[in-house]
Amino acid sequence: MNAIARWVFGLALAIGVAAAAPGCRRHAGASAPSNDLLIIGYDREPDTLNRFSTHILEDIQSCIVEGLTTTDEQMRVVPLLATDVPTLENGGVRLRGDGGMDVIWKLRPGVTWHDGTPFTSADIQFTVEAINSPNYNPESTDGFDRISSVDTPDPLTAIVHYKEIYAPYDIQFIRGMLPKHVLQGRDIDRAQDYNRNPLGTGPYRVAEWKAGEYILLERVPHYWRGDDYPKIRRLLFKFIPNTNTRINQLKSGEVHVVALLPWDKYREVADLESTVIRRTPGNAYEHVTLNERHFPPFADLRVRQALISALDREQYVRTILDGLAPVAHGPIQPISWAYSDRITKYPFDVAKARALLDDAGWRVGADGIRERGGTRLAFTLITQAGYAIRENMAQAIERQLRDVGVDVRVELQDGTAISTTWFEGRFDAMLHWWQMPSDPELTTFFAADRTPPAGRNINYFRDDALSRLLYESDRTVDRHARGALLARAQALITAAVPEIPLYTVTRLDALPAGLANFKGNPTNTGIFWNVHEWEIK
Amino acid sequence: MARFLARRLAHAVPLLFIVSALVFLLIHLAPGGPLAIYLSNPNVRPEDIERLRHALGLDRPLWNQYWSWLAAFVQGDWGYSFSDGRPVASRILERVPATLELVSASLGCALALTMPIGVWSAVRRGRWFDRLATLASMIGLSLPAFWFGLLLQMIFALALGWLPSSGRATPGTNAFGDHLQHLLMPAAVLAAVLASSWSRYLRGAMIEVIGQPFVLAAEARGVPEARVILRHALANALGPLVAIVTVDAALLVSGAVVTESVFAWPGLGSLFTEALARRDYSVLMALLMLSSAAVILFNVAADALHAAIDPRVTT
Repeated sequence: MNAIARWVFGLALAIGVAAAAPGCRRHAGASAPSNDLLIIGYDREPDTLNRFSTHILEDIQSCIVEGLTTTDEQMRVVPLLATDVPTLENGGVRLRGDGGMDVIWKLRPGVTWHDGTPFTSADIQFTVEAINSPNYNPESTDGFDRISSVDTPDPLTAIVHYKEIYAPYDIQFIRGMLPKHVLQGRDIDRAQDYNRNPLGTGPYRVAEWKAGEYILLERVPHYWRGDDYPKIRRLLFKFIPNTNTRINQLKSGEVHVVALLPWDKYREVADLESTVIRRTPGNAYEHVTLNERHFPPFADLRVRQALISALDREQYVRTILDGLAPVAHGPIQPISWAYSDRITKYPFDVAKARALLDDAGWRVGADGIRERGGTRLAFTLITQAGYAIRENMAQAIERQLRDVGVDVRVELQDGTAISTTWFEGRFDAMLHWWQMPSDPELTTFFAADRTPPAGRNINYFRDDALSRLLYESDRTVDRHARGALLARAQALITAAVPEIPLYTVTRLDALPAGLANFKGNPTNTGIFWNVHEWEIK
Repeated sequence: MARFLARRLAHAVPLLFIVSALVFLLIHLAPGGPLAIYLSNPNVRPEDIERLRHALGLDRPLWNQYWSWLAAFVQGDWGYSFSDGRPVASRILERVPATLELVSASLGCALALTMPIGVWSAVRRGRWFDRLATLASMIGLSLPAFWFGLLLQMIFALALGWLPSSGRATPGTNAFGDHLQHLLMPAAVLAAVLASSWSRYLRGAMIEVIGQPFVLAAEARGVPEARVILRHALANALGPLVAIVTVDAALLVSGAVVTESVFAWPGLGSLFTEALARRDYSVLMALLMLSSAAVILFNVAADALHAAIDPRVTT
């Protein structure tokens, strides 16, 4: 027995010493970030590096393939391979008498593909034709299907003819360009040479893709911004799907960057000396969708207003979110140029919530839950499993709504399953977020005729005045006029509360303390949009 | 023996057909599909979803999809991944070396632990070593693999800095030592779980054999204890263990899903996890068929092995 005791004691001691050891020791595989190599811990392996085909974030792609424009840290659309963003004012956009429009793109001179072939307007023409071709299956043809043709009067000018007015024309070519001289006449879906190692104009190219392990990018010799860029020679994206393992690698120095750090890991990483956490105000908003079709009591404005008033969203943000994100009040976030603050806000007010429900005829029953005409005010709130923050948020909502006599049952579903559930409208309420495009289009989320499968109006909310406003804003290219329409739309939406906005999603990225010129990005463009400037100092 | 093997293998073919139909039905019944991942992107419009559904052949009746999958599969055409468009066969083949490496290392370690622990626990039944082994295997069996894996990472990668926390190799290096260091923790996690259960089986079988008259007779004739245990008793106790080892090995070959995920090990288990999350039907079907085939084949192999080492088992 003595031997057992000694053994157990020894083991306990070893674990104790290990756990108490000051700081972390470094394994030989660990290294400090440098301008020679920056290692990024990435939560998944990309499906393809073809930016038009992929259906996950385009972080790695954006280091290789560039578009005509990109979005910056303030979500402004800025030129990349174009010299300017075309507008009505600068003559780059012309509205035609037949209801269509022409967009004139001037290309930056001297840009070449990585193989030295000049990048020209013929590549733009080819990109449009390829995406509209029935033989290729990109993720989305949004906007491209409204282009009738592309003229190329000279190698540095492309005139894109739209059949109708298309307001987000400025981000039409944000995902990149397809090289005509490589892909013409080929089956792009199966062009594995390109899809695994795309030819781009960006600062990096693929040096190695080891399936299931990593993608190594190396700088291209003569990047068009000059030989000083990019500053960092190699970027290594390691695929580490398990969040705890990814954080462990960050702690051990085996990775230097963890993009999209989960919020519940914030405190764990915040204390690391070698790491800083950058917060980027996001363009997504977490909210509770209220499906009026599936749970008819949501169709009553008083019920919706009661629900939002019963929730202490300021407290959620302070406690569950550690103060990392602000309360959201509507579908367009403050970072967007189209944001309007002339909207209705709903402070936490339990008395008002109760009064509204009383007024709507919902009386408190014997079990403390309200009912009306034999129907209980009880619904199911679905949310995605595996997100601690969401699960906590759902519990807080359940608790606070019970205080005003509303019964909420929380149901967790896996990510793939929940997409199908909402697409088919088979739920009462859902806690989730939309990652909004950088263009402030709201039509697909709120127009009355855009319920699935025609769109993402899964509140099944119907307001014809709002629908008209939204469609008009889509056909308005002048930013001032479009902004005014969208401001009216925001006022209508926040007054009608078709859904309960909770908070603006803030993006967290863990970075090496010595990384200079990191700017962040609130959109799907991702944080690598200015990777050419990044430098370890 | 040859006729036995031929008969067993002939039975396996219709079994695999039934399994394939069931598995096909099951993965298509699971909520969500390969297109679900597109839905959360507001830029992907309903027209896009319909176009992709048609391009992937998902708009055809289920029996039709199954039939064309089966017709191609039996001819060796495993199709293309729904997720990245690459041939399924090459996606699987590139993961095989990592899985074989992990499986053989963990099976080797597990056997190396099982033999002495199982035998010694049986011989010294009820003594301190046996009780310690019982305790250890209880712990090994009840520890969740992901938790145990993370614990090892905290101790050996973070606190002590002896081992890399995860992955198969330091990118850019191809040294044997580096490889071995990466292999150590995931193999240890799997080996601990396997050895915990196998040593219990071996202990049980040994205790039974040791009590039998021929062992007593050997001891009475003055055969040295080590020889009695290792030559006479162990040989007879191995049969049941072989069956269990082969079945466990078959399950491992199709991927140690949890351990591979915790250690970012690029084997078939990681591929399965990814394919499941993306509902990559063609990759899922191929992986599930492979694991079904492995279980069936290894079972046949287990029977054959058992028969070979124990003449009482007749074919």
